[in-house]
Amino acid sequence: MFRHRLLQRTNQIKFKKRRLIMKQNFLFQASNISKYYGQNVGCKNVSLDINPGEVLGIVGESGSGKSTLLNCIYGNLEVDEGDIFLNDKSKTILNFTKISEPKLRLIQRSDLAFVHQNPRDGLRMNISAGGNIGERLMAIGHRNYGEIRQIAANWLEKVEIDVSRIDDKPSTFSGGMQQRLQIARNLVTRPRLIFMDEPTGGLDVSVQAKILDLLRNLVRELGIAAVIVTHDLAVVRLLADRIIVMQNGNVIEAGLCDQVLDDPQHKYSQLLVSSVLQV
Amino acid sequence: MNEMSKNENLDIQIYNFAYLDENTKRMIRRALLKALCIPGYQVPFSSREMPMPYGWGTGGIQVTSACLIPKDILKVIDQGADDTTNAVSIRKFFQKTANVAVTEKTSDASLIQTRHRIPETKLKEKQILVYQVPIPEPLRFLEPRETETRKMHALSEYGLMYVKLYEDIAKHGHIETAYAYPVKTNGNYVTDPSPIPKFDNPKMNNSPAIQLFGAGREQRIYAIPPYTNVKSLDFEDYPFEAMKANFKCSICGSSDSYLDEIIVSDDGKRSYICSDTDYCKEQTKLNSKKED
Repeated sequence: MFRHRLLQRTNQIKFKKRRLIMKQNFLFQASNISKYYGQNVGCKNVSLDINPGEVLGIVGESGSGKSTLLNCIYGNLEVDEGDIFLNDKSKTILNFTKISEPKLRLIQRSDLAFVHQNPRDGLRMNISAGGNIGERLMAIGHRNYGEIRQIAANWLEKVEIDVSRIDDKPSTFSGGMQQRLQIARNLVTRPRLIFMDEPTGGLDVSVQAKILDLLRNLVRELGIAAVIVTHDLAVVRLLADRIIVMQNGNVIEAGLCDQVLDDPQHKYSQLLVSSVLQV
Repeated sequence: MNEMSKNENLDIQIYNFAYLDENTKRMIRRALLKALCIPGYQVPFSSREMPMPYGWGTGGIQVTSACLIPKDILKVIDQGADDTTNAVSIRKFFQKTANVAVTEKTSDASLIQTRHRIPETKLKEKQILVYQVPIPEPLRFLEPRETETRKMHALSEYGLMYVKLYEDIAKHGHIETAYAYPVKTNGNYVTDPSPIPKFDNPKMNNSPAIQLFGAGREQRIYAIPPYTNVKSLDFEDYPFEAMKANFKCSICGSSDSYLDEIIVSDDGKRSYICSDTDYCKEQTKLNSKKED
């Protein structure tokens, strides 16, 4: 009992206003960020950091502020309080809340990537699969058609889409294929951190499994760090190294994935873990 | 005869010089100056109602009327020809409202208003070329949000423009875009050269003449100052190619000018003639001199 209390206490201390500690090797750090929608809290006083190659899961019920948090740290939403730091390729530490928009957009399409829940939001539906994968390449200055096409073909292979479909439009693809195409399109420029908002939501279970398998391999193989928002605990169990649990815009528990899932401390985390359906 | 000249005088009294009032011209000139200072940048202007529908060259006419001075010699072409409806009516419009001299000879003109072509005869310094532009935004059909395209221009995020060319090659094996072929002006803004054939794109590069673009319905003006670098977008392994029908003009025999294809008989016989009527006449004259 005492141990439980102690752990709870340390968790609380960890996520209350903590001082900014700049570790040399961190990739991404958000400190005390808050986002309000008028009177309503989007997320409050959230801090997190991500090391290179690490996968962080964000879990919580609908409306708990997961997506708000994700959009804040990706730079899509302006935060009301707090700072967001990225240790970029040249080892300079950039503060998202301070840098100019052009710089932010440049980082968003080179160092970062964002996978939407609905592939229609992340893909250009009237442009061929090859063009979809090539867009980010062309955006960072690739000007050789043959090369772009070759890279696109390689990526189609990596995400297990038949290369002969390279000139087909995503609208002719199945939901699972569209999601895999979106992942390829995002990973093609080798970002160092990828944000995913319910990447397997809305897909049937076998397709989900396939995408998770693919993601796990790619993330491990390329050493890409990832932040995955989901309400599916099985997804984080499979992919994440660490997780944070959110409720009403607050982080209520955080820790190593297995630790939190096997031994949840907070009442809500316990509820979440116990409500997973067993087959 | 007497009555006609009376009428002409009457017209000039009714209309301000070159139709538009002085304040409007001033507003357009301001936009033009800004456009010349930032080559390829689309300057918004408050386009006026003109006595003709949008799509008939209201943008070009407003730019022309803001630039016109009584000394000017005006030439108006439509698809390269001086004698097509659009060209004839715009020319008449300015004869009536500005009483300026008109010509069909490219080299004599001080101001040329054009739709869909650049004259074959090389332009000179102190000439102004005014384009009629239907859609000034080269990214329009790739990104429908104007707020977003403006941002893309500002941050020169032109990856999407190349996606279009990529799609062309993927679909057709070569860059299929044959007109309104996007260019990069002064190494900065990607610009829509108005729907001229891509055969004309190289003529825009380093041209001694001033090139002004007016889009009336879209309320945008942009410009390319003289001697500005204008580069057509392409891929390293699929370089830009200025292309035309591989025939000779059946009137003047020229093989280096842009050709129109016309069907001359019911069984589908085709003939190719220069789209630039002035150039065609010049060539015919030269040929007959040679024969003499």
